[in-house]
Amino acid sequence: MISSTIGAAAPRSRRPAGTRRRGAPRGAARWALSAPLLIFLALFAVIPTGYGVWVALTDQTVLSTDVRFVGLENFAAVLADKAFWSSLWFTAWYTVLTTAITLATGLGVALLVNRRFPGKRALFTIVLLPIMIAPALMGLMFRLALNGDTGVIPAVLRSLGMQVSLFDPHAVAALLVVLEVVQWTPFTFLIIYSGLQALPAELYEAAALDGASRWQAFVDVTLPLLRPVLFAAGFLRGVDALRTFDVIYVLTGGGPGTVTTTLSIYVYKQAFVSGSFGLAAAAAVLVMIIIVPLVPLLISRVVVQPGDAA
Amino acid sequence: MMRKRRIAAAALAMGTVAALLAGCASGGSGSSGGVTTVNMVLWPGPEGDAMQKVVDAWNADQGVKDKVKVKMVLLSRDDTFSRETTEISARSSSEDIYFVASYNVNYYQAGLDPIDDVGITDSDYFTPVVEGLKIGGKQYALPLDVSNHFLYYRKDLIDRLLSDDAQRAAYRQVSQKVLGEARDPKDPADWDVDDYLAMAAYFSKSANPGSPTTYGTALQLKTSVFNITLWDDLLWGLGGGWTTKSGKADLTSPQAKKAMDVYRTIYENKWTSPDAAQAEYAETNSALESGDVAFAMQWSSAYSELTDPTKAPKVAHTIAVAPEPGDPHSTHVHALAVALNKYSKNKDAAKTWLKYLATPEAMTAYAKAGGIPSMPKVLADNVDVNAAFTPIADQVGKYGYTPPLFTGTFDAMTQLTEALNPGWVGISPVDEVLGDANTKLQSQLDKRK
Repeated sequence: MISSTIGAAAPRSRRPAGTRRRGAPRGAARWALSAPLLIFLALFAVIPTGYGVWVALTDQTVLSTDVRFVGLENFAAVLADKAFWSSLWFTAWYTVLTTAITLATGLGVALLVNRRFPGKRALFTIVLLPIMIAPALMGLMFRLALNGDTGVIPAVLRSLGMQVSLFDPHAVAALLVVLEVVQWTPFTFLIIYSGLQALPAELYEAAALDGASRWQAFVDVTLPLLRPVLFAAGFLRGVDALRTFDVIYVLTGGGPGTVTTTLSIYVYKQAFVSGSFGLAAAAAVLVMIIIVPLVPLLISRVVVQPGDAA
Repeated sequence: MMRKRRIAAAALAMGTVAALLAGCASGGSGSSGGVTTVNMVLWPGPEGDAMQKVVDAWNADQGVKDKVKVKMVLLSRDDTFSRETTEISARSSSEDIYFVASYNVNYYQAGLDPIDDVGITDSDYFTPVVEGLKIGGKQYALPLDVSNHFLYYRKDLIDRLLSDDAQRAAYRQVSQKVLGEARDPKDPADWDVDDYLAMAAYFSKSANPGSPTTYGTALQLKTSVFNITLWDDLLWGLGGGWTTKSGKADLTSPQAKKAMDVYRTIYENKWTSPDAAQAEYAETNSALESGDVAFAMQWSSAYSELTDPTKAPKVAHTIAVAPEPGDPHSTHVHALAVALNKYSKNKDAAKTWLKYLATPEAMTAYAKAGGIPSMPKVLADNVDVNAAFTPIADQVGKYGYTPPLFTGTFDAMTQLTEALNPGWVGISPVDEVLGDANTKLQSQLDKRK
């Protein structure tokens, strides 16, 4: 408080010359040290985003010889497109559902594995396998495994007397959720398991001394302490689910109709099938506008402030 | 001191950026030692494999004399056109020759140069193929492979049906139920759309418990752009089309409604697998190979796999092909082709190579390497190489059609598939999806330049 008062009372112009000379190099050093990050941000975030916004304001297509500024026309066209809204709702539904389920399954598996038992390492490796496979490849594998004529899964179901069409138009969205959960549960498991490992054993001993049951220890000790970890896992999973493209594109192409079209698929089709870069960029900017306000809220739940742990 | 540091930091930053950009730059095409290297994009798979052999032979012989070396650039089969879209829009010169097709050459026109001077002789090619690559009377691409559809069927099952009185009687009963008229079974070469529908029912256990197969046919209903072309065969086979004679969208016609009804009836009655909702080329091959399906409309390129005893041991010996059902029989035809990049820096060398590709000799070498050239005479002369050449040469010439070709053809194909698909699989009313499709098609037609 005192130092800030002194600082406020002393105008910069009245500082001794020596002080200014020492401060300037420190400022330069800050810039120099920050330069790699700033260059990285400029090259891979600011410039592409700025360019994307500019393209969204033009009529640029693959055929354009002259690009014309069209103002907000592309935004109006995207907002009037039923397919955009349908892809937005499907993406939101898919993101919320798959994130919630993968968090729950990841937590469940982590709690099961968080104890000593023979073969734990082997089980760990097997559980983690799905996240080591590229999503597009995973889509192809699912497509083969679920093929009604030659796939393993329909054959097993038939041998059990179950005649189920896994690609039924009314069930395919649910199937996509299941496949996403199968692939990404290991990811949430890994993060949550790391969190569980870091929980202090003394708290559980204290809870036991107080007569807490296992369930009470889980609800009153584990869950509160895991909250930042769960938010971090949920945040990462949500971001990933939000931009899902590969598996769905390979399996359903966004159909039947546009029922399983995600925003990524919508933008991809606008850009590379229709060749309408302006519309695609406008859709992408709209998605950014919808998502960006949510990010600080989520970040504030993920970042642990000093004193939070107390 | 401070100024020097700033300059040094700026120089370092600029150096870093320059190094990064240099790392991003691609190379390959250009001249070196008097030899010009031409980069040609193709997609991997049978076409890429076949062309690689032609390229290797050229680079070892004629290319040395002409001082033109060709380098193949194989992109992903799914994303070749996306990559090319990006390169063309960026006016890139890194590739000299692009891979295109009848349905998108108009779309890419802004990034292509006409190639009327490379010696393409129209009469060497199937007419719809070579004409489909012209824009405003100018040739924009050189045809390589021709692609069309066949009706693949189990000859053993059909022969038994045609010769067995009890089965003929059963078929008459099924057709009475399905069509409202008792029909006699016909040879697949004579099927119209109603025969196709009745046969799908007859060979399905859900309509005929005595059927030797579970499903009559295998539809390709996934929201995948090429699946519209198979439905189009029925539409054209009923005398319909995408547009009226005056060029207006015509997807609410009685023919379009009937083609929709046929697909929907087959799907809803389980005369195709319920999984057909997500099926395309590979799934249809699997269905036919499993022996559990009696017939299916499928691409001509499947012929070699379906008649290969090592790949399709259950059915290879008995698979036969007929024209697509309809009156008139109609098969979608498109060409895969190569085109000259407008922004290429090696146009003369690229044209030297294209001139060679336009010769029957080059296409004969391509056929022998596994391609399906668009030259009927080359196909006829090389039937020993691929038995599919005979029906391709026969059917493309007699029954081939192309959908209206304009800038937005590929986009229209995508939008029509998305619009019609919910009607095919029974989740939206037929009239609604046809109306939606018609509006989208008209919108694309209105954008024509």
